Amino acid sequence: MHNKYIKNAFNNIKKEKLLSITNIIVMGITFLLLGVFLSVVVLTQTVLRDFERQAQVTIFFKDEIPENKILEIETKLKSDERIFATNYISKEEAFNIFKELNKDDPVLLESVTSSILPASLEVQAKDLSSLPRLAEEFKGLDGVEEVRFFEDVISRFKKFSTVVYSIGFVLVFLFLVISYAVVLSTLRMTINSKGVELEIIKLVGARNSYVKMPLMYQGLFYGFISSLISGFILFVIIIVLSKLGNFPASFGVGFFPNLSISHFVFAILLWLILIISGCVLGYFGSLFAVKKYLKY
Amino acid sequence: MQIDFRDITKEYEQQVKALDNISFGIERGEFVFIVGESGAGKTTLIKLLIKEEEPTAGQILFDDVDLSAILKDDISQLRRRVGVVFQDFKLLESKDVFENVAIALDVVDSNDDVIKNVVPNVLSLVGLTHKMHSPPSKLSGGEKQRVSIARALAHEPDVLIADEPTGMIDPKSAMEIMEILEKINSLGTTVVMATHNRDIVDSFKKRVIRLEKGKIISDKKKGTYAQ
Repeated sequence: MHNKYIKNAFNNIKKEKLLSITNIIVMGITFLLLGVFLSVVVLTQTVLRDFERQAQVTIFFKDEIPENKILEIETKLKSDERIFATNYISKEEAFNIFKELNKDDPVLLESVTSSILPASLEVQAKDLSSLPRLAEEFKGLDGVEEVRFFEDVISRFKKFSTVVYSIGFVLVFLFLVISYAVVLSTLRMTINSKGVELEIIKLVGARNSYVKMPLMYQGLFYGFISSLISGFILFVIIIVLSKLGNFPASFGVGFFPNLSISHFVFAILLWLILIISGCVLGYFGSLFAVKKYLKY
Repeated sequence: MQIDFRDITKEYEQQVKALDNISFGIERGEFVFIVGESGAGKTTLIKLLIKEEEPTAGQILFDDVDLSAILKDDISQLRRRVGVVFQDFKLLESKDVFENVAIALDVVDSNDDVIKNVVPNVLSLVGLTHKMHSPPSKLSGGEKQRVSIARALAHEPDVLIADEPTGMIDPKSAMEIMEILEKINSLGTTVVMATHNRDIVDSFKKRVIRLEKGKIISDKKKGTYAQ
């Protein structure tokens, strides 16, 4: 039975070449814009996530603490799930940094030696909000002289990034609704254009499935082809741009601090999301549009 | 198929009664004219017969099966036993004559061999074999109505219902259509035809049910338009 409906769907598509091409173009452009929009939102959130990770707590150690003791602490911290990265700055490295920063002030440089600068550990957290708690914990470690981080700046940045993430999600939701509405009205117009025909077919004794199934398969075809093409275009763009080094190393998504995906996986996921949206919208969108013609 | 209308009332919004408590029966193989002026309730009666609309009160029985008991999903089964000819032909403009007739068989899942066999036969019955591959736009009104009749006959219905089948065609074509309907009736199919064409009703001497303002005002075995 479904073979017959599929055959009827393809006969319709062949007969209505111009309408089919127009539908695929309109739906394809909608899916392309949706994909571009989703990518921009994810990219924005990735950049924010990168900024967040650059925020760090610096632990300064007392002079008498030997280097191997600090490296032991570093190893322990690295195994903490909340911590993204650590960096050990020895007294010598601290002095080199100091020299670099003050190279235009020889008087100051002469008065300072490496022995008066403390060794330190720079700690970056996976999630910005865990920084204050981590800082408190570090204060209790053996041999810690001082724990420093810019709490005000970080809390302001956290608020800002939460707002940006929220706006991103709301915009994604709105754009999804808009693009789904465009696809639904495209299908609706296609089906309305043959409303009289559908009424007649019902009046000569067709079952509901005879009327609706070919149209649902037709919608499925439009949705699949248009999302397949737009997903492919986006896939190529993302891969080319990532090869040119225009993207951060991997993508992150808003409220999921630990989520980090490669460009390739992101491009494939985006393609899949578009294809699933295309198929579901095409199939059920047509059912929705044809319903009013099934009452006869 | 025997048809029984029992105390049928059809009310539209604002309590306008298109049919007001009417009862009548149609025997198997009968030819019945339903006559009356525009607005008398003829089209409503036809719509109730094919379950395009539901009565407000009363029962319609097809061989003792109550139409109101037929579920929405089974309406298609009913319509396969009843062929319908519409005043405005209701042809599919995107399909040719053959395809327009074939659709009636395709919807009941007839295979291609049956379709190839039956369609030329019914087109020959209505005298349109030579126009088999013409689009409806190339046909005259009379020819369009003959395609509509061929489509209604394709699945060999028990009853043929015609709603003003001569309403949009010239008198000569109207007579040809009537001859085809009479021929179909002589082969055993019940024909119910709504019309307000006085000449046709008077010249065929069939049963005439006359409606006025939704009520039956006469029902004669061999009637005329006036009586």
